[in-house]
Amino acid sequence: MVKLEGNPDHPVNRGTLCIRGQAGLQGPYNPDRLRGAMQRRDASGALRPVKWEEAEKFLVERLTGLVKQGKGKRIVVVSQLESGSLGRLLDAWAGALGAERMNYEPFNYEAIRHASRTVFGRDAIPHYAIEEANVLLSFGADFLETWLSPVEHARAFTRMHALKHGKAGTFIHLEPRLSLTAANADEWVQNAPGTEELLALAILRVILDEGLQAPGVDIALLRAAASKVDLQSTARQSGVSGEAIKHIARTFAKAKPGLAIGGGVAGTSAFAVETQVAIHLLNYAAGNVGRTVRFGPDSAFGKAAPYVGAQLLTQRMANGEVDILLLIHANPLFALPAAGGMAEALKKVPLVVSFSDQPDETTQRAHLVLPDLHALESWGDFSPREGVIGLMQPTMAPVFDSRSAGDVLLSVGRQVLGTPEGKGPLRWPAFQAYLKDQWRGIAREYSPATPFDQFWEESLRRGGAWKEIGVVPVQARSAPVQGKPATVEGDPQGLTLLVYPSHRFYDGRGANKPWLQEAPDTMTQVTWDSWVEVPAEVAKKLGLRQGDLVKVASPHGAIELPAYISESLHAGAVAIPIGQGHTAYGRYAKDRGANPLALLPAPGPAGLPFLSVKVSLTKTGGRRPLAIPQATADQDNRELARHVTLPTARELELRGAAPEKASHPSMYPDPKYPEYRWGMTIDIDSCIGCQACVIACKAENNVPVVGKEQVAYGRDMHWLRIERWQEGPAGHPETLFLPMLCQHCEVAPCEPVCPVFASYHTNEGLNAQIYNRCIGTRYCNNNCPYHVRRFNWWDYGSPTSSSHAFPDPLHLQLNPDVTVRQLGVMEKCTMCIQRIIAAKDHARDEGRLVRDGDLETACQQTCPTQAIVFGNLKDPSSRVAKSSRSPRGYHVLEELGTRPAITYLKKVTREHGKA
Amino acid sequence: MRIWVGAGVLALMFLAVLGFVASSTRGQAAAPPQPILFSHQLHAGQYKIDCQYCHADARRSEYAGLPSVTRCMGCHRITAADRPEIQKLAQFFNEQKPIPWVRVFKVPEYVHFPHKPHIRAGVTCQTCHGPVETMAVVSAKTGQNLANDLLNLVTFAPTPTPLTMGWCVDCHTTMNATKKTKAPLECVVCHH
Repeated sequence: MVKLEGNPDHPVNRGTLCIRGQAGLQGPYNPDRLRGAMQRRDASGALRPVKWEEAEKFLVERLTGLVKQGKGKRIVVVSQLESGSLGRLLDAWAGALGAERMNYEPFNYEAIRHASRTVFGRDAIPHYAIEEANVLLSFGADFLETWLSPVEHARAFTRMHALKHGKAGTFIHLEPRLSLTAANADEWVQNAPGTEELLALAILRVILDEGLQAPGVDIALLRAAASKVDLQSTARQSGVSGEAIKHIARTFAKAKPGLAIGGGVAGTSAFAVETQVAIHLLNYAAGNVGRTVRFGPDSAFGKAAPYVGAQLLTQRMANGEVDILLLIHANPLFALPAAGGMAEALKKVPLVVSFSDQPDETTQRAHLVLPDLHALESWGDFSPREGVIGLMQPTMAPVFDSRSAGDVLLSVGRQVLGTPEGKGPLRWPAFQAYLKDQWRGIAREYSPATPFDQFWEESLRRGGAWKEIGVVPVQARSAPVQGKPATVEGDPQGLTLLVYPSHRFYDGRGANKPWLQEAPDTMTQVTWDSWVEVPAEVAKKLGLRQGDLVKVASPHGAIELPAYISESLHAGAVAIPIGQGHTAYGRYAKDRGANPLALLPAPGPAGLPFLSVKVSLTKTGGRRPLAIPQATADQDNRELARHVTLPTARELELRGAAPEKASHPSMYPDPKYPEYRWGMTIDIDSCIGCQACVIACKAENNVPVVGKEQVAYGRDMHWLRIERWQEGPAGHPETLFLPMLCQHCEVAPCEPVCPVFASYHTNEGLNAQIYNRCIGTRYCNNNCPYHVRRFNWWDYGSPTSSSHAFPDPLHLQLNPDVTVRQLGVMEKCTMCIQRIIAAKDHARDEGRLVRDGDLETACQQTCPTQAIVFGNLKDPSSRVAKSSRSPRGYHVLEELGTRPAITYLKKVTREHGKA
Repeated sequence: MRIWVGAGVLALMFLAVLGFVASSTRGQAAAPPQPILFSHQLHAGQYKIDCQYCHADARRSEYAGLPSVTRCMGCHRITAADRPEIQKLAQFFNEQKPIPWVRVFKVPEYVHFPHKPHIRAGVTCQTCHGPVETMAVVSAKTGQNLANDLLNLVTFAPTPTPLTMGWCVDCHTTMNATKKTKAPLECVVCHH
């Protein structure tokens, strides 16, 4: 297994993956992965390898002791949200032994569920049909990064937002910080932290005052909520002008349908539930419920346990009421705020068993570690929402001596109960048999007419089972709202702390993957580190420069992080991403900043409080410079990333205007392409800057990671990078994302300067680089205006080298169709030449030429918004040829006369100054 | 005079080193000991079993592939089952373990040689691998070693199939000129 790609038939991802999905390969192949069962014999001792049989026997003895005494309640099984068969097996297992069972998800969207319960009487998180909204209004929901289902949302967002047949939707985003999602908004509205509920109610009030509500809604109910706020004080408290609020309200109400969503830090404030109530009411008032807000195909996150459960468990543990704690895919010591007291409580549990396959903060404290198989090595199923169940089969043999947690629990459970295989509540010989049995029920529900064996085989082939789920009608009821800014604890003179999930590391579980560490955070461009984002005004007052270490102190704790100076962050806030600051999560996560959860209070009834404290900043005097590949956001008038206004784009499209592509004369004869000319178009209107393509490229082409020091030297090896450019006022810029890779110029500046013919033009229009010819003069790199060539300054491929980038078993991820480059040679994007060769080979078998759609480059394959199109430019009917004729098409730096094979399509911007 | 003697001594030393290097590289690549004394001469030569009966991936993929132990056992469950070498085979089969054959033919890691298009173009296995059907133990005097390069340099007929780039390209150009094939000559087809 050398590359991960989605299942094109799956209704959620349609074959595309996010950045974390692409990097999933480095889970099973992680060099720090646990290699077998481990046990700690005494409290002070270290974990030592133990035979699986002995480990199982030990666990059986301890469990039997408790179960026989009728103290099953003193056994607790904790897992992440398992929406498939494993979750049901854990329930059945806990039931059979009389044990307690709970699940725990760091981001569980509890506020949405709570609000649905109070407003619509339905305990669920609805499906948000973003693609059908004409106006999307987001209250801090980072739906392009982590919120609910980012890949699905990204595709839906493009469908709703991109210009098509003269129509294009509008996306308005309210957030104090310019997040990746905010950077994609047509109108980013900066509000004071914690005023989202207030703003939602004010917008509702404008809708009611101007009579813009949908016909047939209960006006009295809405009026009761909206009357809690008035426009003037809302404008004062939130920093959003009354005019802007009115404009948003009118745009939203007239959208028909629109869609309002809420999340991110706004979804985790003290008034998170009230915020979601206000958003539900907004959707109700605009007539979106049932259209873009759909109950029925509910999200699986609605089944996550409330945080109160985690808090109660901690208390029970602290009181010594738990004797055995089984943790399945859960790392509570990292993912819960230290203030919750989990670390202390864990010490009181005599036997902690972790099924984690990676060493982490919790296995560090466990007495018994029984590493589970990775998802790619095992059977499993997962249901992201009602009506969609993905089915997984093992794709590879286990890399190490791990065992499926399901198998172990079945065998252990049977031994405890004393029941033989085939009998009793845990009769299945292995998890696979249990899973298949569970699918009998699914078969009856999804395809009652088909015989089970046929359904099972079809589901395996298809990768799951899916069906349409009807929309369940709901009635709105009155629900309590607050109508004031969320309360924040701490020094009133301090800055409000925004703790947000990272799109690279999620809750921190991505931090052990070197690909994710080296991929720059798109907005800040920081690699390999964590940081505290400080508003420029505050930084000036404190005399802070970028990279200066800052002590961030809240009433609950203090951490030290390097400062990232931001022009665009709200002047009353500081922001820290979650994910770094691991203390025991393998070599790649080691010494990478601090965990901001240390600053937060214990979880309350509304969930993890990511927006709840004010902090003070103190300059420590130390420095830890950040490794930032692209330091400037200023294009310096080079017009690398370009944009047109929506009216102009619409007019160009209707007129069918030709693209403005300069074809400058060349001294050389025009090349001839006998069969193919490979080319690409990249629509920067669709690019959301998610970086999934960057990791897909790294995985496909054996691109090494180089580490923080080398990135800081500018020696990162990414063949494809996402450039982030900004225009307009620094505090409120227009952001453009430009995926930059080798342009495969027809008149390539790199080619004539190569003294050994290592860089040359193929007769298919590719600019090829022959590694074994290259002698490393780097002339080509100096002559490339796009800065896309990468030089091997160190010996990344050799196992004996100190800079070896693929320590055992990470070398198993290497693509055998691509050479691992050696020290001293130049490399760069090949347009996935190995895929081109494979497609041509396949076509020749069938006695034809390569057809459009026969092959996709790795970056194109994974792009959730399908911004990248690749194909044969010689074929005028190919998708790429059509798209390169778009009136929005242009070449980057075309005035140099390089005649690139890559055409970019300009971003379509909306008019500004309205919000 | 003295200079000439010195130069002569140096030249002799150089040749001696060359000879040593040449013989040592040949010695290594020639016929590595295999876990089972398998004779191609017997199978492909005497019994005329088609190469692709065992190396069945050659016409289907980039790699020629080695036969599975099951395929060997297809005949050897009965044929010559009492011989010691076949019993070694049976042991691998019973333990369900692959046979750790030692690779003989190898091109450098920056070269991608796909078998399929060559088989499809009618190139015989012997063109690159030499007369394997006459070898009791497969040996390959191939590859980019100094000896082959020097022999090429002094225009001696090279030892069988040097598997060097010039040799590949020669064949591609000749075939294109004489047999109207479309053997690619782009560098990037093999080097990527």
